[in-house]
Amino acid sequence: MASNAAVPFWRSAGMTYITYSNICANLVRNCLKEPYKSEALAREKVHFSVAKWLDGKPQKPTVRSDTPEE
Amino acid sequence: MYFLQILTLAVSVTLHTSTPPHLQRFRRMQSAQQRCLRPWRLVVSNVVSNFSVCSSRDLGRLPHHEQIFRELDPKGARFISTQVVRNRMKSVKNIQKITKAMKMVAASKLRAVQQRTENSRGLWQPFTALLGDNPSTDVKKNVIVTISSDKGLCGGINSTSVKMSKALYKLNAGPEKEVKYVVLGEKAKAQFVRDSKKAIEISITELQKYPLNYTQVSVLADDILKNVEYDALRIVFNKFQSVVQFIPTVATILSPEVVEREAEAGGKLGDLDSYEIEGGETKGEILQNLAEFQFSCTMFNGVLENACSELGARMSAMDSSSRNAGDMLDRLTLTYNRTRQASITTELIEIISGASALTG
Repeated sequence: MASNAAVPFWRSAGMTYITYSNICANLVRNCLKEPYKSEALAREKVHFSVAKWLDGKPQKPTVRSDTPEE
Repeated sequence: MYFLQILTLAVSVTLHTSTPPHLQRFRRMQSAQQRCLRPWRLVVSNVVSNFSVCSSRDLGRLPHHEQIFRELDPKGARFISTQVVRNRMKSVKNIQKITKAMKMVAASKLRAVQQRTENSRGLWQPFTALLGDNPSTDVKKNVIVTISSDKGLCGGINSTSVKMSKALYKLNAGPEKEVKYVVLGEKAKAQFVRDSKKAIEISITELQKYPLNYTQVSVLADDILKNVEYDALRIVFNKFQSVVQFIPTVATILSPEVVEREAEAGGKLGDLDSYEIEGGETKGEILQNLAEFQFSCTMFNGVLENACSELGARMSAMDSSSRNAGDMLDRLTLTYNRTRQASITTELIEIISGASALTG
């Protein structure tokens, strides 16, 4: 019944199902053996920039990226 | 070289003999004609300017308006220059090279992306089988997620998704109802800013720095979910059908509350009650998890489909523009050769008539 008890925990921590499943997926990827492990981890790179808009004007965009800026 | 020889010949003939008056008149008439007909007359190649036929000494004898023209001319302008046409031919050739290269790049990228796109369709299909697609659901808070590309030169795919989104906006707008845009990609953003920037809630760019992957899109979907309140999310993208066909598509994702409401009302969603729920979760929790996961999966597919359509559209756009450049080049070459031939003919006439004036 582990998964049963886990549901409220991650939800009450402010996570969505997407975050939760991503953490799980990353866990599985880390369990792979070496040549496959780095390959799988390199494949899933995140990079995009988000800007919120207020009254028809864009606010300063924030970059979500797991590679540091060059 | 041939051109140069004739020219020197013509010049030596005209300079060593005092030009007969009828020939002078003939030449003046001719140059006036050229002035009217050829817009590129002003640019004159160096070759011609070395052999000035109509020198400043002659200017005094010309009528006033002709004098002004002559002063505007580079020194010794006499023949129509082909330099402008030559430059234009060169630039058209370069443009053609670029468009051809862009087409090749798009074609090679397309193959990989198409494979991934077709595989990703398996992600949303189970959801549609379970929950159905409910584009006509009437709810209070609508969020339209418009997917477009960051780069241009890809035909009309960005404007079609923007048009589709605006139509959806009109369909869903109304008193006590709220419609917001979430915009993915530079191009759609630029189009929305023109007339509906008040309705933009979030804009997202630089999506395609790395090859698209699920982790990226799910983090993005998560960001959207956390920052907007919604009853229904409507994702607009171009579905890739073939290299030349893209179908503007709307995928609707309902919030768990709306799903429950609709399920009670019956219809396709009414079948949900026939499922048995295992474990300790309530139906509400399950539905919320489902809605979130459905959103990220549908986004993943939508982003991939749109990227694929973008490449396909770019391929065909670049193909037609290289074809157009080729057509243009053909026309320019024809004009160029004709002009060149015409000036050679003129020179020959001058030599012959000069010679016959001497002998006759």
